[in-house]
Amino acid sequence: MQDERGRIVEARSLSGNYYLLKITAPQIAAQAKPGNFVMVRVSSSLDPLLRRPFGILQSRPPHIWLYYQVRGRGTRLLSELGSGDGLDILGPLGNTFPELPGKKVLLIAGGRGIVPLFHHAQVHAAHQPLLLLYGGRSAAELHLLQEIQTMPLLQSYIFSEDGSIGQKGLLTSGLEKIIAEQRPQATLSCGPEAMLARLAQMFKPKKTENYASLEALMGCGFGVCHSCAVKVVDNSYRRVCDEGPVFPLEEIRWPS
Amino acid sequence: MAELSVDLGFLTLKNPVITASGTFGYGEEFLPFFNLDILGALVLKGIFKKPRPGNPPPRLYETPAGLLNSIGLAGPGSKKLQEIILRLSAKTSTPIIVNVCGEDDKEFGEVAETFSAMNEVAMLELNISCPNVKKGGACPAQDKKHTFRLVRQVRKKISKPLIVKLSPNAADIVAVALAAEEAGADAISLVNTFLGLAVDLEKRKPVFANTFAGLSGPAIKPLALKLVWEVCRQVRIPVIGIGGITSGRDVLDYVLVGASAVQIGTVNFYEPAAAVRIIGEIEVEMDKLKIKDLSEIRGKLRA
Repeated sequence: MQDERGRIVEARSLSGNYYLLKITAPQIAAQAKPGNFVMVRVSSSLDPLLRRPFGILQSRPPHIWLYYQVRGRGTRLLSELGSGDGLDILGPLGNTFPELPGKKVLLIAGGRGIVPLFHHAQVHAAHQPLLLLYGGRSAAELHLLQEIQTMPLLQSYIFSEDGSIGQKGLLTSGLEKIIAEQRPQATLSCGPEAMLARLAQMFKPKKTENYASLEALMGCGFGVCHSCAVKVVDNSYRRVCDEGPVFPLEEIRWPS
Repeated sequence: MAELSVDLGFLTLKNPVITASGTFGYGEEFLPFFNLDILGALVLKGIFKKPRPGNPPPRLYETPAGLLNSIGLAGPGSKKLQEIILRLSAKTSTPIIVNVCGEDDKEFGEVAETFSAMNEVAMLELNISCPNVKKGGACPAQDKKHTFRLVRQVRKKISKPLIVKLSPNAADIVAVALAAEEAGADAISLVNTFLGLAVDLEKRKPVFANTFAGLSGPAIKPLALKLVWEVCRQVRIPVIGIGGITSGRDVLDYVLVGASAVQIGTVNFYEPAAAVRIIGEIEVEMDKLKIKDLSEIRGKLRA
């Protein structure tokens, strides 16, 4: 983990207010593992004050890639930066998905929740057969489709809410059928809270080993401020940044 | 070469920069970023007798150049902290300050006794000013009589130097500071966070479950600096200034109004090695301003 001065190599604007950033950050790139994230200072002024968390999409030293949607002031400021601009990046942070060798693994990605799962697939789809369920609002928001389809040993199922690509509907609507056909032994998921809560419901009783990567509002990203607390089943809290962001799906107390 | 050391009377610090409670974890989290030995001292995250889960989320709300927090002093309890201190003291020679909390006066006394007995602890900071424990933000430091009673009780029980951390949310912070001094405090630290309110316009409800939360960061610096100046003019014991420090110049501002040392807080969240930069900047600024020793400007504000 380090606070590294990175430099943007390429900033690409995509449909749906999404952006893809390629950043030179050799030390972080060398250490990054699937599931890890970084904290980025989006401004050199004192406003906004705090860094913003971003999952690492992929890492090929000396570069890392971030894929994000503009959601508020921080992401908007980041989207205004371009090639050649410097960025303070803290990372890599957080834990990783378990590797699960020899197991049949289903990846479930909702929208920008694709980020850590793309990274996982990229590292593991070369030597382990993987299934991927990738859903979003429309074809225009499933930017990583092309890259995914070139990964060896990865079988993908695509869903869009408007039916513009793949099967129409939420990915959870097609999940039962895929599980019945493929009988995965484990699932790794990331996406909107409602999707993860629905998965937690659907996976009861537990037939698969399930892990989810969580998103949270973070102050520091390295376990110090305790802002990113998430409630777990015994009613205590875990820090998403330091004890996560990957947790066993069943361990989280999901909103009902 | 500028002289950065600070004599508090009961302890000499190699420089005036102390990392503030609640913003520096238990010290260990910062080992990847810098050698803790460079710090004047470090204050651990506030501790109660028993483990505390902290407040329900959301716990954080960003404001212009600042942030509101309602963490609620989540922590592992005093038994576990003793183990952490033993580990930490093996890794640094910097004085370790324990931030002592309590649900009531009795607990403050018990926790203070526990850590006063540890050789690895240099001093205690009595946290009578956290706004996130009781609903509405009430704390002992809002009342000079309660402050006097509580500080005197703790003072009688412990041998270690005692810092009392004050709240900017008291009606008369100078009166509270004088009460702490009279009750036997060795130093005063101020300020803890300012009570603030954030609302959710859509839901027409406060953002935080506790309604109010504590504001910190550069936004509060002028407010804090004023209170530190007012307290410094009235008390005789050393004062540790806290509030919105992000640079070496900020540190010198606090020294100019009378602070013996400072604590840096929120900056640690977004710049983990901020202390290293700030200590370096103090030296550069002192050379630029031809200040050889901090005592030359301490309390020398012409007003």
